[in-house]
Amino acid sequence: MSSRLAVLFVAGVAALCAQDAPLDNAVKINLPPDSPLTLISANLGESHVSQRGSAVVLDLDVTLTLHNSSPNRVRGVTLLVAAQEVTPGGKASVSVPSLDVPPSQNFPVRIDLRLLRPAQIAGGPLVQVNLDGVLFQDYSFYGPNRLDSRRTMTAWEMQAQRDRKYFKSILALHGIEGLKQTMLESLNRQAERPRLDVQVSRGPAVTSAAVGEHSARFAFLRFPDEPVEPVEGWAEIAGNEARNPRIDVRNLSSRQVRSVEVDWIVTDRQGKQYMAGSVPASGPEFNLKAGNTSRVIQDTALRFAHLSKDGGAPVSVAGMTGFVGQVEFADGKVWIPNRESLANAQLLGILEPSPEEQRLTDLYRKKGPKALADELNKF
Amino acid sequence: MTHPNQSVLALYAGQDLGWFTRRRTERHLARCPECRGEVQAFGSARDNLAALNELPALSWNRLAIEMKANIRLGLAAGECVRGQRTVSMFQSLSDARALTACASVMALVAAGLILQRPAPVAPPAIARDSAVLRATAGGIELTQGGQTLSLLHAHSGDVAYSAGAQGSIRAGYVDSDTGNVTINNLYVQ
Repeated sequence: MSSRLAVLFVAGVAALCAQDAPLDNAVKINLPPDSPLTLISANLGESHVSQRGSAVVLDLDVTLTLHNSSPNRVRGVTLLVAAQEVTPGGKASVSVPSLDVPPSQNFPVRIDLRLLRPAQIAGGPLVQVNLDGVLFQDYSFYGPNRLDSRRTMTAWEMQAQRDRKYFKSILALHGIEGLKQTMLESLNRQAERPRLDVQVSRGPAVTSAAVGEHSARFAFLRFPDEPVEPVEGWAEIAGNEARNPRIDVRNLSSRQVRSVEVDWIVTDRQGKQYMAGSVPASGPEFNLKAGNTSRVIQDTALRFAHLSKDGGAPVSVAGMTGFVGQVEFADGKVWIPNRESLANAQLLGILEPSPEEQRLTDLYRKKGPKALADELNKF
Repeated sequence: MTHPNQSVLALYAGQDLGWFTRRRTERHLARCPECRGEVQAFGSARDNLAALNELPALSWNRLAIEMKANIRLGLAAGECVRGQRTVSMFQSLSDARALTACASVMALVAAGLILQRPAPVAPPAIARDSAVLRATAGGIELTQGGQTLSLLHAHSGDVAYSAGAQGSIRAGYVDSDTGNVTINNLYVQ
């Protein structure tokens, strides 16, 4: 009997151990042969596959070390992360903007991902990582650009240049003390910025939420130098859900516009304003010639709630405000609002900080004003 | 005159008192014949107890032989009265015990599996069969048909979220290990 018990015990232990199997061929990293970046290593760290009931959970914590084999300085990278078997209707990307990687140097990119899927799906790599784009110092771009990474990374780089210029001017005018004060103000703004938990879905309205639905009109903020102006816009509102935003925009410039992004602020019943998201319009169907008007329309529903770990209370939408946050011209150049316009419209306390401002304030917080001044003086 | 109590006298008789109390008791005994008598009585009693503790001499080997013989006799008597039917009953009882033990161990292992690896929490109810994006405490996630793809930001402090009405959600943060800004994006088609 003791031998039978031993066999049973060993089988039980084996079954327990088998639930935390090491990751094996679950991730494939594809870089094109002519890519300006080469893969040096892929450290899978604590990545593992485990089984929970009838589902498989893949925890992928991978740090890629990439090498800049181009003659230009790399400013940003976007990787497309595809898990088609798991979410055929979705995709993911990991971008690293605000880089300054000289030629022949390595840099890390971390991907921290979790997949939950049924156990019976066939084998093969669960996750494929592909290069979607690389942005260089001179705004040149490499990559298939399936995620419109060129526009996004160009906008981030322009924001980085704008914010670096602003902080450098503070340093030049007011010295380290002035820079310190500006950083503290930025950190306070970031900490106090009202945040929302936004849930996004596409398709028809939720029946329960559609009760009491009505069309609400956007109010618009205007900037003196904007090349595209918002004319009018509506969205369907029901409680804490806003659906189908549609905004008419007019091209004020003499150039053809390829894409426009209208940023969207919602106001709750107490008059508090939150950055809800953006309403972008791009693609071949959107082609805004000089002087023309076109409509930005999205078949999406956004549900708003207070940000909380346990699921916050719904935020009833009492009003909506929009402003043009980004314009891409047909030649690939991008317009963004300048810092003075954002400050004058009192948007700095509502908008998310640019990636570069996030990085610089983090540097200040961790290493102090001297290290920040050295960083600003680099370029 | 104040006399020491009985316990002090008993301890004195056994030489178990501390130095100070012993001296004080000796001074009292020198002038109190009554207490001296008590102490002598306690001393006699201790001597008697020591004598009582001694066991009489026994033949241990003989005792062991007798016990073994009795055990053998009992076993032999049992064999005489136990038939074939009794043997099979004992065997059945043994098997039943083994089965019960196995079942208990299997139940224990199953309970361990359930407690150790609880079934994943079901994704929030979705009122439509389309993909849903949302921000959670640990990252951003895309849920579709009970399957989930999440991009996590475990190595970060402050995270800036934003949504795109074309069907995307974004989380931007500074990675504490690399110091780089990382922007995770999920898109629904």
